[in-house]
Amino acid sequence: MVSTKLYTAIYAVLFVSATVQVLVEFAGLSYWLAFGVIMVLSAAKAVLVAAYFQHLRFEPRSLTYLVGIGLVAALALTLAASYSLL
Amino acid sequence: MTDASPGGDAAADGGHEVARGGDDHDFPGTGSIKRWFVTTNHKDVGILYIVTSLFFLVLGGVLAWLMRIQLLAPRALGEGILAPVAYNQAVSAHGLLMVFWFLSPFAFGFANYVVPLQLGAKDLAFPRLNALSYWLYLFSGILFGVSFFQGGTFSGGWTMYAPLNVPTFTPDVGASTAVLALVLFVASVTVSSVNFLTTMHRMRAEGLTLRNVPLFSWTILLTAWMMLFAFAALLAALLVLSSDRLLGTTYFAMESPAGALLWTHLFWFFGHPEVYIVFFPALGVMAEVFQTFPGRRIVGRKWFILAMVLVAIQSFAVWMHHMFLTSINLQVKTLFMITTIGISLPFDLMVFALIYTMLKGKIRFTTPFLFVFGALLLFIIGGITGVFLGAVVLDYEFRGTYWVVAHFHYVMVGGVTALVGGLYYWFPKMTGRMYDEFLGKLHFAVYFVGFNLLYFPLFVAWETPRRVFDYAPELAPWHQLATVGGFVLGLSFLIMFYNLFKSAFVGDPAPDNPWEYATTAEWAVSSPPPLENFDGTPTYRDGHLEFIDDGEVAPSEERSGGPTGAAVSDGGVTASATRAVTADAELPTAEATEVEGPSHASIWPFVLSAGAFLVLLGLSPLQDAAFPEGMVGAAYATTAVAGGVVTLGSLVAMGLEPFHGPVFEEGEAWPFAGIDNGKVGMWIFLASDVVLFGGFLGAYVFTRVAFGWTGWEPIPSDPIPGLVNTYILLTSSFTVVLALVAAEKKHKWGLVTSLGATFVLGIGFLVNKGLEWQHLFHEGLWLSTNVRASTFFLTTGLHAAHVIAGLVVALYLTARAWRGAYLEDSRSVEYFGLYWHFVDIVWLFLFPLFYIL
Amino acid sequence: MVTELVPAAAFPLQSGLVPRGTRTFVFESIFEVFLLLGTLVGVVVVGYMLYNAYKYRSGSGNGHIDDEDRLVLGELPSGSGGGRKLFTSFFMSMIIVVSLVSWTYLTLLYVEEGPSDAESLDVEVEGYQFGWRFTYPNGHTTDGVLRVPADRPVQLTITTADVFHNFGITELRVKSDAIPGQETETWFTADEPGTYTAQCYELCGAGHSYMSAEVIVMPPDEYEAWYANTTADNATASESSADESVAAKSSLRPAVVP
Repeated sequence: MVSTKLYTAIYAVLFVSATVQVLVEFAGLSYWLAFGVIMVLSAAKAVLVAAYFQHLRFEPRSLTYLVGIGLVAALALTLAASYSLL
Repeated sequence: MTDASPGGDAAADGGHEVARGGDDHDFPGTGSIKRWFVTTNHKDVGILYIVTSLFFLVLGGVLAWLMRIQLLAPRALGEGILAPVAYNQAVSAHGLLMVFWFLSPFAFGFANYVVPLQLGAKDLAFPRLNALSYWLYLFSGILFGVSFFQGGTFSGGWTMYAPLNVPTFTPDVGASTAVLALVLFVASVTVSSVNFLTTMHRMRAEGLTLRNVPLFSWTILLTAWMMLFAFAALLAALLVLSSDRLLGTTYFAMESPAGALLWTHLFWFFGHPEVYIVFFPALGVMAEVFQTFPGRRIVGRKWFILAMVLVAIQSFAVWMHHMFLTSINLQVKTLFMITTIGISLPFDLMVFALIYTMLKGKIRFTTPFLFVFGALLLFIIGGITGVFLGAVVLDYEFRGTYWVVAHFHYVMVGGVTALVGGLYYWFPKMTGRMYDEFLGKLHFAVYFVGFNLLYFPLFVAWETPRRVFDYAPELAPWHQLATVGGFVLGLSFLIMFYNLFKSAFVGDPAPDNPWEYATTAEWAVSSPPPLENFDGTPTYRDGHLEFIDDGEVAPSEERSGGPTGAAVSDGGVTASATRAVTADAELPTAEATEVEGPSHASIWPFVLSAGAFLVLLGLSPLQDAAFPEGMVGAAYATTAVAGGVVTLGSLVAMGLEPFHGPVFEEGEAWPFAGIDNGKVGMWIFLASDVVLFGGFLGAYVFTRVAFGWTGWEPIPSDPIPGLVNTYILLTSSFTVVLALVAAEKKHKWGLVTSLGATFVLGIGFLVNKGLEWQHLFHEGLWLSTNVRASTFFLTTGLHAAHVIAGLVVALYLTARAWRGAYLEDSRSVEYFGLYWHFVDIVWLFLFPLFYIL
Repeated sequence: MVTELVPAAAFPLQSGLVPRGTRTFVFESIFEVFLLLGTLVGVVVVGYMLYNAYKYRSGSGNGHIDDEDRLVLGELPSGSGGGRKLFTSFFMSMIIVVSLVSWTYLTLLYVEEGPSDAESLDVEVEGYQFGWRFTYPNGHTTDGVLRVPADRPVQLTITTADVFHNFGITELRVKSDAIPGQETETWFTADEPGTYTAQCYELCGAGHSYMSAEVIVMPPDEYEAWYANTTADNATASESSADESVAAKSSLRPAVVP
């Protein structure tokens, strides 16, 4: 499936990306730009963990969809509720 | 006792001593009391659910009678049999008991009994978890009962609107207990949903593709999907509420920027799917009975199913129609008006399909058909009056009135009517005896008259505000009529109880299929069915139900080995390590089958639920995270600790107990073919956990938007401890991966070291968090300081609780690995990893949102 | 806020087809149509069901189950024909429901737009456990009694001092939630002078049943005379309204429409 070497490489990427995430905050970007970059970095790390550590990449796609449904439900609640305030 | 099997993982387990297959030899008969405490068989559990839910029906019904007596006349202060707060308690408890403790469990009694039979499965995927669902349900109901005696139960209505639901306004301990009882109930529902979804997707007989599944099972499948996600959102709402009540966070407090609105969003995001969760099983009963008694197949079957699927999906996009009069903006109102109309249309199609199914048939008006036919009539009235509410201009005036009360009682109690029909329908199957047909018809006549006498006048008296007992005097005659109807409806159940109780013992023996034209598989086996349901393996490969001799099946199963053909052990969240030995190729087939009969008994679900009950009861008097002073507080604290010990002990006992689920040949398993049951179950559970954390993060985002997003400073002034914890969690995820790699390579010490490292890293995470929190407390920040602090402590606290739960499992796995487990079968390590990585992923979002943005 | 969504001038139906007027008029016109159509549809559908259930009862000889159609135990489920009829009925019901609700949407836009600021009287409403406070534009505050002129739109801004309430005057068909930390707006116009009752429509605690206020609709000139004598007063029970407040509290029965 996946070699220990690849797992190690992914771990290194995650570690570095977490560091970068904090540095972005101090890079003097505008709030919303920094917000965007930081959330994208979080999402990228989450995808890496799910795809390789939870090996979703090598499972039938139905498991990915299953989690995706939960994610869509949570996002629908968050976004619609917040929007209704505006 | 010595281990009966040579080699295999049992010996590698390091010799914990068990006589395999011993359980079913001392599985007591149905006449024994012990049987009902230890049983894990789906049919027994189904009967337990039905009987218990009927008990809660009586309790909720008596509360309704108290309300109806109070409403005989408009009451001035001090008049009537109930004091104002007592009335509010009756209103609230009636709603909660009927919706949660009666309706769904009643339906799931049938689901437990019938669905595995309809699918051709010998039991559910995780029989012990099924028993656990039942016991959690029962104990949650008992906990709710206890709440009446702790100064009074919750009195803020079943919708529990904020901020009336916080101790500032409802200070009774009983109110907290009622909320905790709901938490326990949701735990039961979640376990049950995971179990049903795994079973229904993975364990269908060969040839029984999803599209071929009988309609009752279809409704249960969709119900379980809705439950999985909707109850996760409710759990988020209830945990936040429990925290507000017990720990002093301020999400829903009066001063919170939009706490009251937050509750309405969280509650109705659950609440609207809940309407279909309670109604769909009734629809399934209608669909079955509408085919059996006219002897006709349903019209437009495929469209009927499609309509239900659409409703199930869309039910998560209509919640704000309960909030048309709140401060939500017009655009959102318009959107939700459209989705609301959209969700009503599939029901039109279903109603017409049922009506047209009767045509040209030979309708036999037996008791089940009468009830189901009556249910459809009532549902039509409920549906039409619901369209009124879909028109926003009318809804503005109907909000909070008896129009709403009458409408949803027509729909929901209309559903109950169909389920009562289901009880008569399946009664011969469950007991092996026929009920008395005359008394059944009499029951229907009295019930139907009572129902309409009770609820129809409420439409006429619609200007009465809900949950009020002082109303305009000119409406009194209608309320009096309704009260009379309430007693007629309630008393009609005495006829049923008498009929069914008597018939269960002395009724005529029921044949396998007492209803000519019934087609589903439960009628193809004896009444009641044998313990393991079928004498052979059911299959539909030639287009109709056949049973293949087990002798032919077993060898092929042994050969296939691996995850698909293996017997299934009862895994689940606690990652039980017991494996069925049938997967072990070294054993001769015949011996394996004989020695390895599936287990049907375990006491631990009962004990575990009792422990959870004690924990929550013990925690109930907390306020601002402190027990009351003196003896009472000490007694409660002791109860909580004792409960914790029992819970943890029974979890370990359950993990160590050798328990073998039903052996099954994988037939139809779309869309999870080829994935082990345990893994599917774990992923389904994680999907619901996504919604739980989604609810918490949604609450945070919503509150922050209401507060003003950029004006909100993160609570920790220093992101470094958070960053360190990110490093720790990422590293621990990596060590879990290494553990799995080591286990697959059968490298024992690699496995032990990696698991041990994971455990140590987890402890490090908690210690670091503890130091950080200590520091924040010293700065004068506390959970109740402000809503920013509340969201920070509670959300990261929920995450920490997940870490702690993971550590308990990690410790268990490490200890077992030390003794040599998991080298033959590393699945427990893999499933634990899935959970642990998920907890890691959650932190990847919590860290930026709570520390740096 | 409505205009940004649908410019008022773009309404195709400016005629009497879309009910506009007082809240009472709007509600009654729409409710009548719904009640009429709802009853009609209900009677037709239920009648059809009962008629056919009777017609095809076992032993009537009307139904027939052919051998090839016969349901067999253990068969794979399938459906019967009749899809055309099913879809015809479905589309008919869809047209009724969708057109009814779309029609009321136009009225919703009218209701949401509310009266113009120039013509309306603005009153702030604050709910508390268990009563209602009203504040007039000049700062005058009363407790338990709301006085408004007839034939003039009244714009209400509603909030609460404690828990979630809902302010509603059922005879005048006006209602809105009172939510902590939020303000909601609604309006009404009363045609007839008289005394009405405002009540709480959201469970709010022990006194919920008795959380009412008197709404006195006065002839416009009388109202003007009364209003001219009021002064800014932040006390909950001002001199002029203290007696009324007590009167309102002691009358636990909702007043009957005059």
